[in-house]
Amino acid sequence: MREEAKVVVFCCNWSVYPGLQLSHSAAPTGAKGLVDPIVTMCSGRVSPELILEAFSQGAWGVLVAGCPPEECEHNGNYKARRRVLLLQNLLAQMGIEPQRVRFESFSTGESAKLGQTIRGFVEEMRGLGPIE
Amino acid sequence: MAKPKVALYWCASCGGCEEAVVDLAEDILKVVEAVDIIFWPVAMDFKKADVEGMADGEIAVSFINGAIRTEEQGEMVKLLRRKSGLVVAFGSCAHLGGIPGLANFWNRETIFERVYKGVPTMDNPEGVLPQTRTAVAGKELTIPEFWDTVHTLDQVIPVDYYLPGCAPPPDLIMNAITAILEGKLPEKGAVLAPDKSLCDTCPLADSKPEKLSLKEVKRPYEVILDPEKCFLAQGVICLGPATRSGCGERCINACMPCRGCFGPTKGARDQGARSLSFVASLLGIEEEEKMTDEEVEKLIDQIPDPAGLFYMYSLPSSLLRRRIMK
Ligand code: SF4
Ligand code: SF4
Repeated sequence: MREEAKVVVFCCNWSVYPGLQLSHSAAPTGAKGLVDPIVTMCSGRVSPELILEAFSQGAWGVLVAGCPPEECEHNGNYKARRRVLLLQNLLAQMGIEPQRVRFESFSTGESAKLGQTIRGFVEEMRGLGPIE
Repeated sequence: MAKPKVALYWCASCGGCEEAVVDLAEDILKVVEAVDIIFWPVAMDFKKADVEGMADGEIAVSFINGAIRTEEQGEMVKLLRRKSGLVVAFGSCAHLGGIPGLANFWNRETIFERVYKGVPTMDNPEGVLPQTRTAVAGKELTIPEFWDTVHTLDQVIPVDYYLPGCAPPPDLIMNAITAILEGKLPEKGAVLAPDKSLCDTCPLADSKPEKLSLKEVKRPYEVILDPEKCFLAQGVICLGPATRSGCGERCINACMPCRGCFGPTKGARDQGARSLSFVASLLGIEEEEKMTDEEVEKLIDQIPDPAGLFYMYSLPSSLLRRRIMK
């Protein structure tokens, strides 16, 4: 049996999670069974250390979902965008494909887009396989 | 009462930690009065067999500096561990991997290729590489195996305490020795230095703005730094916010930004990730709402070597530990 892609999704409590709650599901439509998103209080709270921890424990990819520009109450989304970009550069130096970490933004109502993005991301990670 | 026995040993290191012991100056006389140095290859003539001949636990404390990257180093530190009551990882390399740990961006094969074939000053037409066993005149010569990966001391043996720094400063060394002699040690696993960030004790901290924004990143050689002003506020990355205090702000006082040799403060799992985190947070905050993805990318790319910068002293101790070689 082929090993399923191990993907970690961090979801912002304010933009992404309300949509998930409305759909009464831990995962967004279209991404059920693929991931159990981890809810964080803001994408700006997803520390690079946490992302590296996920990789060191066997994650194939990490997706950080936050608010679109101008929609974050705390401007944490901008911080997350910068951290993920810098982390991508660092991962490349460590011999890890930079696309294994990604920042994407979603508005409250965009549960379908989230589901689609997660499916696409999982598909991409299947293509890459596990690290090493 | 017999004096406590002390061993000092070096592994993958530059010798600076040995210098640090000598830098105790007159205080070293107090140390020698209080303890019996039974093993210190850099300074005194003792052999491995002398250590092997000791009872398990007979050495009160071994101070071991350097990272672990050869079979011989692995064997020696295991021996010292068995013979010692306490083991102190002495200096950045034993603590975090240090500068030798940067070799984890490579492996044995690529390092040997470069050092024994690639460097312009190498004259090695037959391309001979070090071998663990070589037959010479009917005899076999052996040298220890060189590992692919550099390790911190605690990845090879259990470590009781850590004395951080490249190299540890004399006052912290004396404090540690006094604490050991007086039996006043903190909980096992502790780093024997203050649990504060360097910024907390930095003489330039007053000039560090409450709300800092880095509009651009300059490298130290590109600017003449004002020695009186926080380096971050001058647009040069200083790792003080993510580094433990206790060094005496040596680099800061020499007008150089901190590169993190004291390691992170308590609780951090990955010093580089912590540094990356605060640097990315500060970059372009002021204009962040207006910046396009491309502009942000350009700003981020002003740090040409993030892994080398953020893991300058701690790559082997990081969550990823090394680069994956394909
Ligand atoms: S960032 Fe560096 S220069 Fe500025 S206060 Fe901290 S340690 Fe001092
Ligand atoms: S300023 Fe930083 S790099 Fe320099 S000695 Fe102190 S901790 Fe080490």
